[in-house]
Amino acid sequence: MNYILYVITSASIFIPAALGYNFVFGRGKILHFGQTGVSLVVAYGIIIPLMATGSFTIGIVSGLLCAALISAFFAWVSLRMESDALGILTIAMHLALYAVVLNWPDLTRGALGIPAIPRFPGLESLPAFAAASVVIAVLWIVFMKIIDSSSLGRALAAFAESRVHAESLGISRARTYLLAFLVAGLGSVLSNFLYPQFLGLLHPNDYRFDVSVFYLMICVAGRPGSVLGVALSTYVLVFLKEGLRFVPLPDGLIGPLRLVLFGIILIVAVFVRRKELFPKPRTI
Amino acid sequence: MRFARLYTPAFSSFLYYTLSVQLLVNALIAGSFAALMAAGLSLVYGVLGVFNMALGQIALAGGYGAWWLLMKAGLPFPFAVVGGAVIAAAVTWLSFELFVGPFYKRHRFLPLVTTIALSIILDGVLLYLFKEDPKSISTGGTLVVSLGNAVMSVEQGVLVLMTVVFLSALAWILVGTPFGRRIRATVQHPSAAESLGINTPLLHRLVFIMSGVLAGCAGIYLGIDQNLTPILGFSITIKAYAAIIAGGKNSLKGAVMCAYLIALLEQLAIGVPWFGFYIPAGFQSTVALLIIIVMLLIRPQGLFGSHQRSV
Repeated sequence: MNYILYVITSASIFIPAALGYNFVFGRGKILHFGQTGVSLVVAYGIIIPLMATGSFTIGIVSGLLCAALISAFFAWVSLRMESDALGILTIAMHLALYAVVLNWPDLTRGALGIPAIPRFPGLESLPAFAAASVVIAVLWIVFMKIIDSSSLGRALAAFAESRVHAESLGISRARTYLLAFLVAGLGSVLSNFLYPQFLGLLHPNDYRFDVSVFYLMICVAGRPGSVLGVALSTYVLVFLKEGLRFVPLPDGLIGPLRLVLFGIILIVAVFVRRKELFPKPRTI
Repeated sequence: MRFARLYTPAFSSFLYYTLSVQLLVNALIAGSFAALMAAGLSLVYGVLGVFNMALGQIALAGGYGAWWLLMKAGLPFPFAVVGGAVIAAAVTWLSFELFVGPFYKRHRFLPLVTTIALSIILDGVLLYLFKEDPKSISTGGTLVVSLGNAVMSVEQGVLVLMTVVFLSALAWILVGTPFGRRIRATVQHPSAAESLGINTPLLHRLVFIMSGVLAGCAGIYLGIDQNLTPILGFSITIKAYAAIIAGGKNSLKGAVMCAYLIALLEQLAIGVPWFGFYIPAGFQSTVALLIIIVMLLIRPQGLFGSHQRSV
């Protein structure tokens, strides 16, 4: 029972960040692979002040500021460069931020991570934490559905289809991209406010590049741009990821098997969704 | 007090000179490895217009292949090296057929995602087959030679020389052979090249495999000069990207030159004091990442790039 609750909580915690990423990558077709880099900054932005002051309010305000800054940076660079270059830059940013976290032990404790993170008052037990994370996930799904069908969602989709046509209608690309990245950043704040509290530990290993691949896989498998599809794929893939722990396999095989399996899922998902992932412009 | 007496201006300049020469030698060694990788990436981008995010893992496949043939199968060193390059070529060909070929004609960004999938599959396979502990390709003894105030092993010298030979051969193939002319024609105008009877799908395959062979050689280089570990793949790829982005995505010459330049900057970043203190060695890898970020923001077409693709 505890295991089921654990997996449900893990998946629910993942939902805000995954749907935020889906908004940028799936809906906006912006080749952004830096969602884990955003999460890394936000997580340390929340937890360091929280541990220093003991105040959750200060932690979350600091996290929001960090999210706003890094999201605005990514939005700015996405306006300046070609899509493939943006993809490389976002990966480079993520790896650079990861290196900073590892090599600045005075602030981040480096590879040791930050242990003994307290839980929000009232959420100390697993059922209470699971209930809170599910409620937040459901509210976030509703919020993303509203955003998706709002003028922002439509403007983002218009840019994904044709930048020239969207701009000729007077839609501001800078404003649209900034808001899209801020929505994704807000999702990161929610996920990374909960995740270190859930584990009681903030560790850089939870923010490696393979987590970005996991976001990508969730987004592609769930149908890029689809809120409900991506929410469903988050639950299915987190169940699969966690379920692999219980497959009776020799030690040393589960880690490699997980990598191979997720790679295969990603390539199959890309093959199936290749028309939706990067659609060809409509022509006559 | 004793240190203060030693640290005279003459001693300081001697120390600085010695350090600088050794740093140059180190940059030459590290840059040669990066140049092999960057040349392969640049070639593929120039001809196919796609980024291959799994090239670091292909390099490791070549390196591990050579290690296995030498250390486990007991083949002589030259055969093991050739075998490693052949393994890298085979992995690259399979990668093209399964992960690039079905996608790049539909949209040139699709291979960016599919090769990320390939990279984690290869990571998993390498991790399972060779475990996490470092593996080194032994050449049976190290002879160190002195170059003024710096030292370099004979192995490293041969590796640097072989890199020059490989890159010169690549340049000759591209500029001085009918095959190279076909490649350049395909880059400049694929439809016109096809209408003249050039088999572009075959050419794309061959170019992709050539990049894999170069990467495989880089992997063998890494195995001889340092160690092979399965987790290195992605950082190798990103470092090579730094070179092609700094040099210009469309310039093979720029990519190779910038591979050496970045290696030098990496050495300087941690090898000399900056405003009185040394940057921790852990930040060495971030130099390449910062170069990517700064170059893309300041000069997206790179130092030697133009807005048109070429090789």
